[in-house]
Amino acid sequence: MNIPTELYYSKEHTWLKIESDIGIIGITDFAQSELGEIVYVDLPNNGYTFKQHEVFGSVEALKTVSDLFMPISGKVIETNKALLKDPTLVNNEPFTNGWMMKIEIESKEELSNLLPAAEYQKTIGV
Amino acid sequence: MNIALFSDIHANLPALEAFFKDVDARNPDAIYCLGDLVGYNIWPNEVVNEIRKRKIPTIAGNYDFGIGRMSNECGCAYKTDHEKDNGNISISFTNSTMKDEERKYLRTLPAHIKVEFQLNEDKLNLLLVHGSPRKINEYLFEDREEKSMLRIMEQADADIMCFGHTHKPYHRILNSGIDGQNHFRHAINIGSVGKPKDTNPQGGYVMLTINDNSSILDKESIQIEFIRFNYDVETAAKAVEDSPLPNEFADMLRRGF
Repeated sequence: MNIPTELYYSKEHTWLKIESDIGIIGITDFAQSELGEIVYVDLPNNGYTFKQHEVFGSVEALKTVSDLFMPISGKVIETNKALLKDPTLVNNEPFTNGWMMKIEIESKEELSNLLPAAEYQKTIGV
Repeated sequence: MNIALFSDIHANLPALEAFFKDVDARNPDAIYCLGDLVGYNIWPNEVVNEIRKRKIPTIAGNYDFGIGRMSNECGCAYKTDHEKDNGNISISFTNSTMKDEERKYLRTLPAHIKVEFQLNEDKLNLLLVHGSPRKINEYLFEDREEKSMLRIMEQADADIMCFGHTHKPYHRILNSGIDGQNHFRHAINIGSVGKPKDTNPQGGYVMLTINDNSSILDKESIQIEFIRFNYDVETAAKAVEDSPLPNEFADMLRRGF
């Protein structure tokens, strides 16, 4: 199970990468493996704001649909258009080309509510 | 007109024969088959040939797609290793049983059938798929979020969408109208002839009735009847037990799960 150490993780299995004031969000390798083949990712339009832990979209796999939760509060500035054409990027490259959206982070203080890789690994029991 | 829709026979010849007897007595105007003719029982060739003999327009199910290509993958999205192991026995058995001509038929089945009615100076699109319009093996269960189901139907321009794959029949009416104007869409899972999973071991199919007043504006103007029929479940279950297929498949037929 791949769990990159440079990322922050939420208990709802999203990851957050920090690039100055911009956050990049996706779901973890564990999440995609639990969901199975992904057929559609429902993401918000640019400009929407969400609070930490709020549902920002959903991911539709062959057998199930699962909500997506914000790892940190912020405003959507870009979504990954490549997922419209090939949603299985989330399965195949969850931490890189399978990213979901970029946000303007509201407050980095909320980072303390997220887990480092080692802690996240414990929560998923691998 | 009355349109009979059936699917998910899964190589169960006694169930298919009982279905034909039942549907013939009702004398529909058209019959369509929504796929998954093979897998999980011993009569894949016989089922293909009975459907071909009757020249029934048929689309491919995920199992037909896999077996048609001699694949060891049926797109079944099994959850557990045990299910996968049993599934692999079925794929391997079906691949070894399937004859060339019948396999070729499976390989050439279309993915979708679209039927456009022109009634009341408007169009009414009936879309037939196996799993969903976007994936042959997507499971559209009854509890699918309305937003998701509507998006799938809107993107496919389907006013009435009929599908199988989950083996659990249901009919949902969703309204995608805007500005106070109704646009009712019907999502219909037609159940399974030969491997029902709704705890009722009887075979199942759907009769869809389109009248000259049928319209997207009136949700009652399209009628759906879920028909169940008896068949010799024991013969089908015993055939599984007398074959290399896992005995659990026989139990599933007897108890409908």
